[in-house]
Amino acid sequence: MAEKKVEIVEDKISDVLKEWEEYARKGNWTVKGYRIVRAPAGPGKLGEEEKDEFMVVYRPHGVLYHHSLGKVSRFFRGLVEGKLYGTRCPKCETVYCPPRVHCWNPDCRAARAEWVELPLRGKVHTFSIMLFSADAFLEHLPFVLGYVQIEGTHTTLPIQVITPPTEVWVGQEVEIRFREERKGELMDIYAVPVPGQKPPEWSCLHRDPKNIKDLERYLEDVYKFLEKRFGIKKEDIQKKWEAAAK
Amino acid sequence: MTRVAVVGGGLFRPDRVRYEVAEEGVAEAYRMLLEDTPELDPRDIEFVQLTYFSDHLNQQLCMAWVIQDYIGLHRKPGYRVEAGGSTPLDAVINAYYLIKSGYYDLILVTGWEWMSEVDTATTNEFIAAASDTDWDFTVGGYYNGYYAALETRHMQLYGETIEDLGRIAVKNRNNAVHNPYSQWRSEHGTGYVTLDDYFNDRIVAWPYRRWNCALISEGACVLLLASEKLARKYSDSPMWIEGVGLGTDSMRPGDRTANWVYKGVFPNDEKVYPDFVEKPLSPYPEMANFGFAREASSQAYRQAGIENPVKRLDLAELFAPYDGVELCLYEDLQFCGRGEGKNLVREGVVMRDGELPCQLSGGLTAFAHPVGATSLLQTLFLYWELGGMIPEKFGDKTLQVSGAEKALITGHGGTGCQGGVVIYSR
Repeated sequence: MAEKKVEIVEDKISDVLKEWEEYARKGNWTVKGYRIVRAPAGPGKLGEEEKDEFMVVYRPHGVLYHHSLGKVSRFFRGLVEGKLYGTRCPKCETVYCPPRVHCWNPDCRAARAEWVELPLRGKVHTFSIMLFSADAFLEHLPFVLGYVQIEGTHTTLPIQVITPPTEVWVGQEVEIRFREERKGELMDIYAVPVPGQKPPEWSCLHRDPKNIKDLERYLEDVYKFLEKRFGIKKEDIQKKWEAAAK
Repeated sequence: MTRVAVVGGGLFRPDRVRYEVAEEGVAEAYRMLLEDTPELDPRDIEFVQLTYFSDHLNQQLCMAWVIQDYIGLHRKPGYRVEAGGSTPLDAVINAYYLIKSGYYDLILVTGWEWMSEVDTATTNEFIAAASDTDWDFTVGGYYNGYYAALETRHMQLYGETIEDLGRIAVKNRNNAVHNPYSQWRSEHGTGYVTLDDYFNDRIVAWPYRRWNCALISEGACVLLLASEKLARKYSDSPMWIEGVGLGTDSMRPGDRTANWVYKGVFPNDEKVYPDFVEKPLSPYPEMANFGFAREASSQAYRQAGIENPVKRLDLAELFAPYDGVELCLYEDLQFCGRGEGKNLVREGVVMRDGELPCQLSGGLTAFAHPVGATSLLQTLFLYWELGGMIPEKFGDKTLQVSGAEKALITGHGGTGCQGGVVIYSR
């Protein structure tokens, strides 16, 4: 490069890069082995299949991307620093979290929004209770995925709500907490319910007691899975929820 | 301007794992079309519309080129369209526009997806890369989690129950057992299931159980579309496209609480809102309903001259990767008012013998969901329905709606980020 236009301001990756170099050297896309299988073949309806033998090869694919978080870098650096930021449109006064640096209200003609620091409080707008997830999140199971409306904002932020899964509802008030180790991603923060609340009688999870029983039955299966796969005990998980509530 | 019709098709039976590769699967589906349509000389196909969703499921970019050459249709104009789950219906709509505009008279649409080359959790992860990877993706919910959260919101506002979701799941399975191409039947045989069976199925993302969720499939489908000039040359029962609509919504579902472009557009729906829940800045569709479907169906009904869809349509094939989506779509496709979706389930309107049967094929949760082929498979099913061909094709007349004349299909991608509606007529 003729001119150094980009300088590194902070570096929290170089050590990890070595590990990934090793991974890449193991050989992306090169065949590692194969199986021969005998399986149904042909287009036809069930009962009319042919059978044939197929060779199945195995080849890996793992890469490390470097991805700029763009103008919302401010938000993610805020997470590292222990602060929560959103943006506010100076024209229509909509407050966004997740932030957008350009307002999407057609009346505002892509106006540039201003950064605002947000309070660490919010409400659960909606949620799901995860009893299965992809590999990277299996050890978090069971967890609540909440869409949380941070106080003073108009959109909702997807974050995990750390609470017993049978104790979450629409409209529940939560506090936002920061994890000890932070990397600049949404997993750096989580929500915990403000203590002393009870589910309203209209709560869709609680209005029929059968729902809770039903959920508890399948939560037991998740606890069994976690113990078998990772040696995580049910008590440990309950302790995690209790600790988060403090 | 010319009318446009679907005049034939073929499929490669979708299943959890198929060992032929995509190009061979498409070739088998194409061979079925050629067998059913002896008048079709491949040289007369003027344009090839190719469609699949994911490049990283198979470590292959530009698979459309592989497919087009494999079936010997290279040299012809052709390209791929891609938009997540909306992919195959977009391909049909694109072919419609190309014929309608007079550019071409005969188009082959081919769609496929091979989704089992990585393990199930990784397949979910790869699909979730269609969500915003800086935001929603990073907290581990993936589509099961996003859609479950949308359904929680709808359930909270409008009072459907887990039983209602179960009734939809049972309905779709008990339809699929009569479909000899369905993945449910491949995996579970031809026995009926009950609501009790549903409650014994495991919960994956409350309020959803495994049965409420789309299948992971490998399979292919092709369709032949023709102008009015050519339609009857290839088919005795062309299925005419009477109306087409498209719609979009925000990428991240969480942003739909301050959805400026929807605010005030559907004032009656904004009013149907319970007073015990805090009203967001934009109350419709917010995170409970699907604005794209409202937009797209309004356009399609206007073109097709349909005012009362439940009365005018004979059946509907919906893009419902989760059963709550099916229930919400009843509302957004204007089969009923906002919040009334549950009534169509409870009153049996959408059941096999109801006024407007939905997902007779089994849909995405019981027929199959090889993403790039899904809406093509559903369209082929409707072509056989409107042509009265189900008894012959399936060897079972149970799913044939007698005298079916009009049908609706809808497709979408993401969490309803983009989608379309097509009205077909005999």
